[in-house]
Amino acid sequence: MNNYFQLSTAFFVLLKREITRFLSLYRQTIIPGVISSGLYIIVFGHALGDRIRNNQELADAGGYMLFIIPGLIMMSVINHSYQNTSSSLMQAKFLKFLDDILITPLSGLEISIAYIIGGAIRGIINAASIILLSYLIADGFTIDNYFMTFIYISIVSWAFSALGLLVGIYARSWDHIGVFTNFVFMPLTMLGGVFWSISMLKNEFLQTISLLNPIYWMIQGLRESMIPNNEPFSYLALIISLSFALIFTVIASYLFSKGFKIKS
Amino acid sequence: MNAVEINNLLKIYDNKFKALNEINLCIPKGSFFGLLGPNGAGKTTTIGILTGLVNKTSGSAKIFGYDTVDNFREARTMIGLSPQELNFDVFFTIEELLTLQAGYFNKDIKEAKARALEMLEYFNLTDKRKSKARELSGGMKRRVQIAKAFIHDPPLIILDEPTAGVDIELRYQLWDFLKEQNKNGKTILLTTHYIEEAEKLCDQIAIINEGNIIANGKTEDLISSMGKNHITIETNLDDNTNIEDFKWKYSINKNKLVIETNNPDSDIIEIIEFMKQKSIPINKIRSEQSTLEEIFINLTNKNE
Repeated sequence: MNNYFQLSTAFFVLLKREITRFLSLYRQTIIPGVISSGLYIIVFGHALGDRIRNNQELADAGGYMLFIIPGLIMMSVINHSYQNTSSSLMQAKFLKFLDDILITPLSGLEISIAYIIGGAIRGIINAASIILLSYLIADGFTIDNYFMTFIYISIVSWAFSALGLLVGIYARSWDHIGVFTNFVFMPLTMLGGVFWSISMLKNEFLQTISLLNPIYWMIQGLRESMIPNNEPFSYLALIISLSFALIFTVIASYLFSKGFKIKS
Repeated sequence: MNAVEINNLLKIYDNKFKALNEINLCIPKGSFFGLLGPNGAGKTTTIGILTGLVNKTSGSAKIFGYDTVDNFREARTMIGLSPQELNFDVFFTIEELLTLQAGYFNKDIKEAKARALEMLEYFNLTDKRKSKARELSGGMKRRVQIAKAFIHDPPLIILDEPTAGVDIELRYQLWDFLKEQNKNGKTILLTTHYIEEAEKLCDQIAIINEGNIIANGKTEDLISSMGKNHITIETNLDDNTNIEDFKWKYSINKNKLVIETNNPDSDIIEIIEFMKQKSIPINKIRSEQSTLEEIFINLTNKNE
């Protein structure tokens, strides 16, 4: 019998559990992301957007409002997919019902992947909700390449879901979960070009620093997929996104399989 | 075949605490086995290693011949665990909890649901099936916990302090249920602080202390071999009387003749015959046997 991974009934039951959990809490897990993104679109797009001009990239996107939507989607995807796995695992650890899963015939890898897919699906549902909302409230909103848009959203959801699992494994308190959100994701996302183009930075040094931010590339990749443009396809953004997804998945699954901070 | 086979099992925690000191233990299939020991003796660590909750340091553990590491899928499928602490997935009703738990053991959705309803009915929880575990009383939570252990119908049930904090009525109900399950072929491994419970339910017992198995065997054999059994006869003999040809070890104190024996029930007839022949009057006679609790206290204190 394969000791590492099997697509067994148990695997799908755990996956179903993860999806049911966040869907049953949709007022906390889906709606807030849509509302906050809608507010950003209204406040920054409609109200302030017209005053932000003189940038070719914004003009190419069809205006500031349409420019920020991919960034808002990515911000929501990162936040929700990370929150899903980290909080789900933390709750199971904290309330000790994780033991119900650890005593089953599921391998550590299978448990990890079920958690990660659950988190990724939450990220994708959030992204889809924001896209639907954008069609409703953002004039001129359209998606240039649906396939690549889906691919980027899926990869980034997966990557941050895996990172959430990693933090959930390591975390001993809810503080540890919050530290990543407040001190890592929020600055990196904000500095990753959600609300502005890197070309707006006058300082070349700051532009170079921004290029070191992986979230910049993830947002950039999605923006290129969503907004019609004549630029050649950027493999770098895709490679960076895929690499992070792979690295976080391997580390999280390995630690989970070894029982790091989960088993005595 | 043994339901559980533990060989040289060693567990040293990260803080260097040696919880299990290369223990060896066999639990025969079909037995009702009691694992007794004071707090921190190594009971929960042993259970943890068998169920995959604790990583062993060295040695091996097998469930019905399946290694708990190399063949963990088969080994874990054979086990139903009812842990001591009452912890439940907070997002689901107890019906959903039981259905999920059956699903985690590869029962398809139809079978899992049917089994969950069956367990709910068996444990008299049908009318609470739409309640979350936190809404239930302590006794009901304990019943859900035990139902979870039985949900996938495993041949080995491990119960860690199943009657801790439950009232007498429920305790007796659980005892009857467990005895019936054992009679139907389930192997049961029980840890308990109530020695009386182990004495009543278990046909075999091991006592663990400071990570070592210090006694192991059939319950009645343990009591007869390790207990201090004696027959007390109230008579008119003086304290320093020497009873000739009396083959048992004895002492006399204030006209009470206390005879040590390993088999009080069978020896008592012979002793009465002997006293008759020697014309020693018997005013009162009683046979006393150590309880498992006395043996447990004696053994675990000796080890400290």
